[in-house]
Amino acid sequence: MTRSDGLSSSSELASAMTGTPEGYQSDELLRADRLNKRFPGVQALQAVSISLHRGTVHALVGQNGAGKSTLVKCISGVYVPESGHIYLEGREVRLLSPRTAFSLGITTVHQRPQLLPSLSVAENIMLGQLPVRKGRVFIDRRQINEDSRALLARLAVSIDPEEPVSRLGAAERQQVAIAKAIYRNAKLLILDEPTVCLDAGRIEQLFRLIEELRRYGMAILYVSHHLEEIFRIADQVTVLRDGRLVATASTAELTPGHVITLMAGDRGAVQSRNGKRSSSSSTQPAIELHNVSTKALHGIDLMVRTGEVVGVTGLIGAGGHSLAQVLFGLEQPQSGEVLLGGRPFRPRGPKQAIARGVFVVPEDTARSTLVPLLSLAANVTLADLAAVSHRGFLSLARERELARHFVSELAIASPSVTSPVRTLSGGNQQKVSLAKALNAKANVLILEEPTQGVDVRAKSEIHNIIRDLAGQDKAVIVISTDIRDLLEFVDRLVALRNGKIVADFSAGETSYTQVLDVTIGAQGVTVR
Amino acid sequence: MSNTLQGPSTNSLPVTPSNAGVAEGAMPRGRWWKSLDIYSMWPIIVMAAIIIATSFKSARYLTVQNFENILSQAAPLGIVTMGQTVLLVSGGLDLSVGYNISFASIVTGLMLEHNDPLWLAILCGIAAPTVVGFVNGLLAAQGRAHPFIITLGMSLFLFGLDTQLTGGSPVNDMKGLYTTFGGNLPSGFPCFGLPTVALPFLVVLVLTFVFLRWTPLGRRAYALGGNEQAAHLSGIAVKRTKIYLYSIMGLLVGLTGMVLAGQINEASFNLGLNFDLESIACAVIGGTALFGGRGGAFRSVQGLALYALVQNSILFAGFSSNYQQMALGAIIVIAVMVSRSAT
Repeated sequence: MTRSDGLSSSSELASAMTGTPEGYQSDELLRADRLNKRFPGVQALQAVSISLHRGTVHALVGQNGAGKSTLVKCISGVYVPESGHIYLEGREVRLLSPRTAFSLGITTVHQRPQLLPSLSVAENIMLGQLPVRKGRVFIDRRQINEDSRALLARLAVSIDPEEPVSRLGAAERQQVAIAKAIYRNAKLLILDEPTVCLDAGRIEQLFRLIEELRRYGMAILYVSHHLEEIFRIADQVTVLRDGRLVATASTAELTPGHVITLMAGDRGAVQSRNGKRSSSSSTQPAIELHNVSTKALHGIDLMVRTGEVVGVTGLIGAGGHSLAQVLFGLEQPQSGEVLLGGRPFRPRGPKQAIARGVFVVPEDTARSTLVPLLSLAANVTLADLAAVSHRGFLSLARERELARHFVSELAIASPSVTSPVRTLSGGNQQKVSLAKALNAKANVLILEEPTQGVDVRAKSEIHNIIRDLAGQDKAVIVISTDIRDLLEFVDRLVALRNGKIVADFSAGETSYTQVLDVTIGAQGVTVR
Repeated sequence: MSNTLQGPSTNSLPVTPSNAGVAEGAMPRGRWWKSLDIYSMWPIIVMAAIIIATSFKSARYLTVQNFENILSQAAPLGIVTMGQTVLLVSGGLDLSVGYNISFASIVTGLMLEHNDPLWLAILCGIAAPTVVGFVNGLLAAQGRAHPFIITLGMSLFLFGLDTQLTGGSPVNDMKGLYTTFGGNLPSGFPCFGLPTVALPFLVVLVLTFVFLRWTPLGRRAYALGGNEQAAHLSGIAVKRTKIYLYSIMGLLVGLTGMVLAGQINEASFNLGLNFDLESIACAVIGGTALFGGRGGAFRSVQGLALYALVQNSILFAGFSSNYQQMALGAIIVIAVMVSRSAT
């Protein structure tokens, strides 16, 4: 078995990088042939084959549960398939552990790369093969920094190698992880949902980096839910559904609509609510912001009526998150005033906000709003335990009853209401958070990135739920960086830029490009 | 269980009834034993094995008398273990319980020496450690230091205070407290002549079980230990909850102090020695998670029973008491490793 000692040629940059950029090389790097993988009760992969080529970006798409991550894990040595063969550069390999795969040049970069935050960028890149000085005791720090600087420069990444990783944002960490992979002679780079934490500007940066790697002949497997990204950068696309291979084709031969049809199969295409907007008859303002300013917001004036769904978009850091923080009492505005139902609203924390019927479902639901070990039912009632209490004691029967009510209304897929919430998928966890907000009798809901990382089907279900909420005279503010997603279900779209509202569109009268233009703008964003 | 309750009419969305059955059908029909969580039951299995094995070694082992002894030895530790369980579930812990137990006994002991009335001495003996627990909670709620450090500091502080108050010499006459907790309950139904100290322990056991399962505060403890940020964003008053929980611990420490001082008729600075680590060990052996969110009274009491049983059985099996500590040390490590592999 190949061990990681095989990686010894340390300080010279990876062969993938020093190789002549002869442009497109069509030779096959890795071929997986008829892989099968079973888990108890589910055939996760059924005779799935995929062929990855040097200098090619190969996209892997499919709904949650289609088998994408199982396939990725088989290729990267996390799972060993029950049958099937994997060939690397024409030779069959047995990938028995992630270590084996890594030593053969197969590297996965996750959404949140595992780096050591207290070490510098350079140390993270070179960790495991740190160059030492003569005595073999001390690390040659100068060498590390120089080599890393050279590598980062080749990748056109502007990060100071001496900076500790803890000071970097998600995008830069990802770039460091990619640089690390290249330093370790990666031949195949697997990017798993790489744009989830990134705003539009950072996505561009990542795409430029991917372009660079492709020119150098790296094979890239790109796993994503975002079709527009795939059609921008991928050469090939493989569609999986229910553990089976549906199609592999060149992106030039396909349209996004076609891919959606392939992904959805007989479940039907995703419905767009466009044109079916309920023009709210109510003109009553639910929540008003007058000239609100914080560190990140500057003089925001915004009014949301009951029965209205307002999308707030902008780059990360444009102020959307700060808006949610203010409305949930997690940040006090420096100036300005918030009115709730015409009365002043200045919550000192989530408790006061919830008591007034304002509920924020923050982004990254699973980590920030759910208690993974508690049951679905207990999570639903957590924000309003009084509703299930009788004379100071919880009524567990009533709690289960309430939970079942929401499970059926929001179509939450869970074996039972007493299952721990950590066993649910991302989309279902998102729905549990919504159920929690509804159970707390929220009238103004602020949802941050509600469809982040969920599959196409769950996405459209969440869209429908949000529309239904508006139909019941709730006011909904959806804060999201995913403009296309917002356009599918909001009534109005407010664009933020550098903490100011730069546009307020009626959803029917705008387009993705128009909104993108005002948020990123003609003068372009300055990339750090 | 009432099924007549309806969901909140204020929130009713257009219902799609096709999904209404999703939550049902969770119970596997037949084969009920498959739903038994064998990992969480392992202390019971191990205890059965120990009892069978030791009963061959000594005729006096398998007697009512001996098991009454085990119960009376375990009862004071059991009360603290319940408090520790509540704190562990909430993601906290209390290392000051040992010297806080001593503090409780000393307050009461000195007052009895002073010829204060028994009820007043007991009241103060429970109130004083409760105040200590409240202070622990107040400090832990600030979130500026881990409860480990806060309660360790409190422990050292109390050690100093205890020795200062007693001058190092114990109070040897607990008067009415001894006559209360030193003996046995009346024989026959419903007390069966059990040691008196078993009564407060069993009451606390039941109350803790009810508290964690059926009260909002108990639920909040799980939420805090499972995901403190989520608890905060769900509108739970995190600081207040912590203060309550640490105060409850103080109250239980006071009760333990009374029981223990009465049982051995002594108040001294080392009365509660090692109760801090032992109570954490018992809870963790039983399957209460050291870092919060998981566990409960029923699990912890299994750990306590195993702990007490091993202590007792080793002597009956003819080993020296030094082996007690060795065996207990091994059990703690194995218990945690087993529970890790179960999750």
